[in-house]
Amino acid sequence: MLGEIRQARLLGLLCVIAGSLFLASLLFGSQTIPVFQALQETFADTSSVLALILTEVRLPRALIALFAGATLGLCGAAMQAMLRNPLASPGLIGSASGAALGAVIALYFGSAALSQFSLPLGGILGSLGATLLVYLLAGRNACTLTLILAGVAINSLSLALISLLLNLAPSPYAVQEIVLWMMGSLNNSSMDNFWIMLPGTLLGWILLLRVGRALDALTLGEETAQSMGVDLPRLRWRIFLAVALAVGSAVSVTGAIGFIGLVVPHMLRPFVGYQPGRLLAASALGGAILLLAADILVRLLPAQTEIKVGVVTALVGAPFFLYLIIKSRRYNQ
Amino acid sequence: MPGIRGFILIWLMLAAGLSWGDGRPPSRVVSINLCTDQLLLMLADADQIASVSYLSLQPESSFVAGEAIRYPTNHARPEELLALDPDLILTVEFTDRRLLGLLDKLGYRVARLPMPTSISAIESNIRQLAELLGQPARGTALIHKMRSALSQIPPQPANQRPKALFYQPRGYTSGSGTLQNEALALAGWSNLAAEKGIHGYNSIDLESLLLGQPDQIFSSTYTGETRSLAQRQLRHPALHHITHNRPIIEIPFKYWICGGPMITDAVAELHAALPNKP
Repeated sequence: MLGEIRQARLLGLLCVIAGSLFLASLLFGSQTIPVFQALQETFADTSSVLALILTEVRLPRALIALFAGATLGLCGAAMQAMLRNPLASPGLIGSASGAALGAVIALYFGSAALSQFSLPLGGILGSLGATLLVYLLAGRNACTLTLILAGVAINSLSLALISLLLNLAPSPYAVQEIVLWMMGSLNNSSMDNFWIMLPGTLLGWILLLRVGRALDALTLGEETAQSMGVDLPRLRWRIFLAVALAVGSAVSVTGAIGFIGLVVPHMLRPFVGYQPGRLLAASALGGAILLLAADILVRLLPAQTEIKVGVVTALVGAPFFLYLIIKSRRYNQ
Repeated sequence: MPGIRGFILIWLMLAAGLSWGDGRPPSRVVSINLCTDQLLLMLADADQIASVSYLSLQPESSFVAGEAIRYPTNHARPEELLALDPDLILTVEFTDRRLLGLLDKLGYRVARLPMPTSISAIESNIRQLAELLGQPARGTALIHKMRSALSQIPPQPANQRPKALFYQPRGYTSGSGTLQNEALALAGWSNLAAEKGIHGYNSIDLESLLLGQPDQIFSSTYTGETRSLAQRQLRHPALHHITHNRPIIEIPFKYWICGGPMITDAVAELHAALPNKP
């Protein structure tokens, strides 16, 4: 009972933070505009510049940050629980870089007419392929090290293929976009981009709606979980598919934004009483908060050309990753 | 071995000695850059031209693809250039330093033209090259042709100039001190990028572009048929809303890739795009 009240309070608090950051994301842009007037003009349905900036430039960016961040946080939590591995996350075990590879193939080499659908589809297939490959390489009951090594291998392979393909792509602009796919960026997103990523993302989330209880059971070990009625192979497939759908669609629009899926579940775990089921919703909100905040930060930093949002998440995430390694070393000794 | 090296050295010194200014116009001119290719073909006698660069054959970037086909082409490789035995090598200011150093060491006469960012700089390039080739009259005639083509375009009063800007893939634009800026002004537009204080070829932020409320957006993409994130940026819906659904007008980039007399065609195209011309 007490736990549920705490959980509700936590989720409420995270919702409030995510909501305020979403609004802040509409307030701050590269240019200062009278936002209140922009809002009035938007609702008055006049086609003014301010309304245009608000609805066609800032809104899609905030929406994509919200949905992509939530996707990465949620999928990180689900993967860590299912693989019972604290280092599992879309960024580390290949789901994100595989998605970027799939999206790159679809965008630069696919047919132009189909691009609206082929882009997220490429992302989803790439993500699923890379995740399954890592899972098969590492084996079912892989220890942390094996899984991470398999992830490193598949990540490097995906990134190498991305650079190769962008070097071979017919467009003269392709080569300069390698960084964009590797670090991720929300710059100049349009509502079209948001609609492209939405269906896959929502489908992935829906698949993860009811896995909480099974993931809780899994903390007691696979055999115990099975004796409690958890259909393990089905659970695995469900989560892999959900991650592929959600991460694949999100990454095909934003590029591979690192560390959110790794860091957020760890930060929030103590607050949900170490229960994976409860962590899911909290992590989704936490991921959205982190990406919204990082994206506001890149807009406020006075750089000549905009810093990629993945740079900020990596600057926060990499030290945290090191901290996790040191902590696990102490634990092992 | 020393014998051969000595022979080559003497041969090179001879070649170098012969090529240095003996008063006569050069008769074996080699151009290794598209920009000098074009001017060379416009100004020189056919028998003065020994070779032009392979880039001059590509119709999407070259204005002289038709004429260039009559001459041997080069890829600016030292071996090729030596074999052509040139008495004048033409290129632009931004050329591989190592190649220039090598040519200098071997005693070749190299003329480097600056990249023009204005009509007057184009004229001075034409004059300079015509002088070098011993064809000053052709230079004057070409400049005169340019000026008369530009004078065909009626000037637009300063207070009736609609706002426009160039918006390229990756969000780049052309501010003050660029050929595009001068062409826009001559065609009767006011360049929004220059008004925003952008100098040279630089990126413009999407929100800043929208706040400027351009009446027309122009673009010059290298290859329109290919796809990339950079090119996708030009399809941002806000760009179409801000110009009230006037499509982005594509001005071929071969007008700008080299500053030359073809700038007058670009000005004419930009002028034709003016809304409700007088």
